[in-house]
Amino acid sequence: MELLQFLLERRDEILDKSLEHLLLVGVSTGIAVLVGVPLGMLLTRREKLASPILGFASVMQTVPSLALFGFLIPIPFIGGIGMKSATIALVLYALLPILRNTYTGIQSVDPAVVEAGRGMGMTDLERLWLIEVPLAVPTILAGVRIATVLTVGLTTIAAAIGAGGLGDLIFRGLSMVDNRLILAGAIPAAALAIALDAVLGLIEKRLSSKL
Amino acid sequence: MGDPAVAFRGVSKSYGGDKPALRKVSFTVARGETLVLLGSSGSGNTTTLKMINRLVDPDEGEIEVEGRASRAWDPIELRRRTGYVIQDIGLLPHLSVGDNVGLVPRLLGWSEKDRGARIRELLTLVSLPPEEFGGKRPSELSGGQRQRVGVARALAADPPLLLMDEPFGALDPVNRRRLQEEFQALRDRLGKTIVFVTHDVPEALRLAHRIGVMHEGRLLQLGPPGEILDHPANDFVREIVQLDTRETVLGR
Amino acid sequence: MRRVILALVTLGVCSCSGSGSRPIVVGSKNFTEQIILGELLAQLLEARGVDVDRRLNLGGSFICHQALVSGSLDVYIEYTGTALTAILKEPFQYDAKEVYEHVRRVYREKFGLEWSAPLGFNNTFALVMRPAQAEELGIRRISDLKAHEATIRPGSGHEYLEREDGHRGLTKAYGLEFAHPARGMELGLIYQALVEGQVDVIAANSTDGLIEKFGLVVLEDDRHFFPPYYAAAVSRPDAVERRPELADVLSEPEGSLD
Repeated sequence: MELLQFLLERRDEILDKSLEHLLLVGVSTGIAVLVGVPLGMLLTRREKLASPILGFASVMQTVPSLALFGFLIPIPFIGGIGMKSATIALVLYALLPILRNTYTGIQSVDPAVVEAGRGMGMTDLERLWLIEVPLAVPTILAGVRIATVLTVGLTTIAAAIGAGGLGDLIFRGLSMVDNRLILAGAIPAAALAIALDAVLGLIEKRLSSKL
Repeated sequence: MGDPAVAFRGVSKSYGGDKPALRKVSFTVARGETLVLLGSSGSGNTTTLKMINRLVDPDEGEIEVEGRASRAWDPIELRRRTGYVIQDIGLLPHLSVGDNVGLVPRLLGWSEKDRGARIRELLTLVSLPPEEFGGKRPSELSGGQRQRVGVARALAADPPLLLMDEPFGALDPVNRRRLQEEFQALRDRLGKTIVFVTHDVPEALRLAHRIGVMHEGRLLQLGPPGEILDHPANDFVREIVQLDTRETVLGR
Repeated sequence: MRRVILALVTLGVCSCSGSGSRPIVVGSKNFTEQIILGELLAQLLEARGVDVDRRLNLGGSFICHQALVSGSLDVYIEYTGTALTAILKEPFQYDAKEVYEHVRRVYREKFGLEWSAPLGFNNTFALVMRPAQAEELGIRRISDLKAHEATIRPGSGHEYLEREDGHRGLTKAYGLEFAHPARGMELGLIYQALVEGQVDVIAANSTDGLIEKFGLVVLEDDRHFFPPYYAAAVSRPDAVERRPELADVLSEPEGSLD
C-alpha cells in the first residue's frame, strides 16, 4: 500500500517527531501534575480560593488553543516561539482536569473515615497523607489521564509556533496538500494518545481495585 | 479517686438557627464510670461527646478533661489520648485490619515491634484472631467484625478515656446484642472511663453505670438506670424511657 | 509598487458592472507580499465594478493551485519557479524567459489555466541571517553555512521544508547537513524567531520589507540553486469569460515592481 510505503520511507523522521511530541507531552503534563495536585490539595483547605482558581482553569480551557499559543508569543521570558511557550500553553490546558479531579477526589473521600482520622488525633497533614490523598489517588489519576490525552492532541497544534512534534508533519502535509504526510503525523499522534490512555487506565484500575 | 475524668459546667453551644444545640449542660463523669448520654438525634448528646475531645468547642461554659481545662489541651494530643468510636466506624479501606488498629500507636511513634505486639493483643481481645484477620481488608469483614476492629483501634494506645457515638447503631439486632455483651465484659476488664452516646433505651439501660437523659440540648436527668426507670424526673424522661421498658433485661 | 498602481489606475477604464453573475474569487498565499498583491488585484477589479470574493492568506502554494484547478479560486498570483519545480515538479531551469514560457505552455495544456504577463519582479527564496552573527561567523554566501552546520539552527515555514526547491533541494545542492533539524512554523513567525535568536537562518522572501526593516543579511545563492521566481497572475479562462474586466486588469504592461 502506498501509504505504508511512504510511512516506511519516512520512518526516521516520524520517529524523531514522535519523540519530540512525547517529550512535549511528558514535560507539560508533568509540570501540570506538579502544580495541579498540590494546588488541588490546597484548595480543599482553603475553600474560598477554590471557586476563583477552578474558574480560572476552566476559562483557560475555553480559549482556543491556537489563540493561546498566539497570545503567549509576544510575552517576554515565558513567551516567544518554540517549545518553551508551547509548554506553558499546554500546562495551562492540562491544569483543569488535574486540578479539579484532585480537589473533588479529596472532597469525596468518605467523611466517616476523615472523621475517624480527626477523632484519633491526626494532624491536618497526617489526615491528608494517610487518608485523603491515598483514597483520592484513583480520581486524581483519572484526571491525569484525561489531561494527557488532551495534551497529545493539543501538541499537534504547537507546531504552528515552531515547537515541533508530530504536528509538523501534519502542517507540512496541509501546505503540500499531501494526505500521506498528514497521516504520517496524525496516525502516530492518535496511536500515542491511545497508548497513553491505555497505560494510565491500567494503572488506574490497579489502584482502584486495591480499595 | 480524686477529680472526675470529665466535667462539664454550664456548657452551651449554638449553631445558629433558633434551637441551640446545648443549653447550660453540667455533669461529671467519675473515673472508671460508663456514662451513657441517652437521647435522640438533636438532643445534644453527640455534640456533648464531641466537646470532650474538642472536635467541637463550646460557646459558653467550662469543660475539664483529666483535670485540665479542655481549652488548655492541644486538641491533637487530647485526641490521641482519647479513644473515639463512631457509628460508621471509619476504617481506612486502603489499609489492612492490623494497620488500622495500629494507627494511633503509629502516630505516637511506637516502634514497629511494639505496634505489632499491641495489634495482636487487641485483635485477640475483640475476638478477631490476628493470624486470620490481621492481614484482611476492611471490605472483607462483616459489619460486626468491622466495629470490633473500630473498638480495638480506639483502645490501641491504651487511652484512659473512651468516647463512643452510637457505635453499634449500624448493626442488626442480633449482632448489636452480641457486641453489647462483649463490650460489657471488656469494659469490666479494662476499667476505662467511657462516655457513650445512644438513642437506644435498652442499650443504655444495659450498659450504663449512670444515664444522662438529654432532650433538646438540656440534660433532663442524671442517675443510675434503676433510678431513671423508677423515678423519672419529668414527663419527658418518662416518655423517653417508657418505650419497651417492660421487655428490658436489666443485667448489670 | 506605487508606480504599478499609478500605471494600472490611469489605464483603468470605468466600465459598467456586469449583470449579476458570480463574483470573482481572488486568492493568495499566506505571506505578506501575496496578501498585498491579492488585495491589489481585488481592488482593481472592484474599481471596475466587479464583485470580488477575497480568499487571501490561504494555507500555501499547493492549496491555491488545487483551488484554482477545481474552480474554488478564479485567480491568484504565482511565481514561475514555484510553478516549475514545486507544482509541476519538473527539473530546474534557470533562464527566466524560458521558465516563464515553459510554465505558461504547460499550464495551458495541462490545466487549461492562463498565465498573465509577468508583473516584472523576481521574488526568490532568500536565506536571511542576523547581521551580527553573519559577520561573526564570516558567512556571506549559502555555501559558507557548511562550515557551521553543527551550530546553525535553520527555521522556515512548513511548506518550504517539504518542497524540492526548498530545504530538501537546497541542502542537497549545497551538501549541508545541519545538526539542528530545521524548525517549521507559521510563516508569520519566522522573522520574530530569527530576530529573537531562536533560529539562526530563515528562508524568507527576497522582497520582504522586514529584511530592510531589521537590517538583516541575505546570503548569496552562490551555487545558483534557486530558479527564477517571476510573479504573474494565473487565472481561469471561464472567469475571464464571466467578467472580461479581469482580462483588462491582468493585461497590464510589465510595471516594474522592486
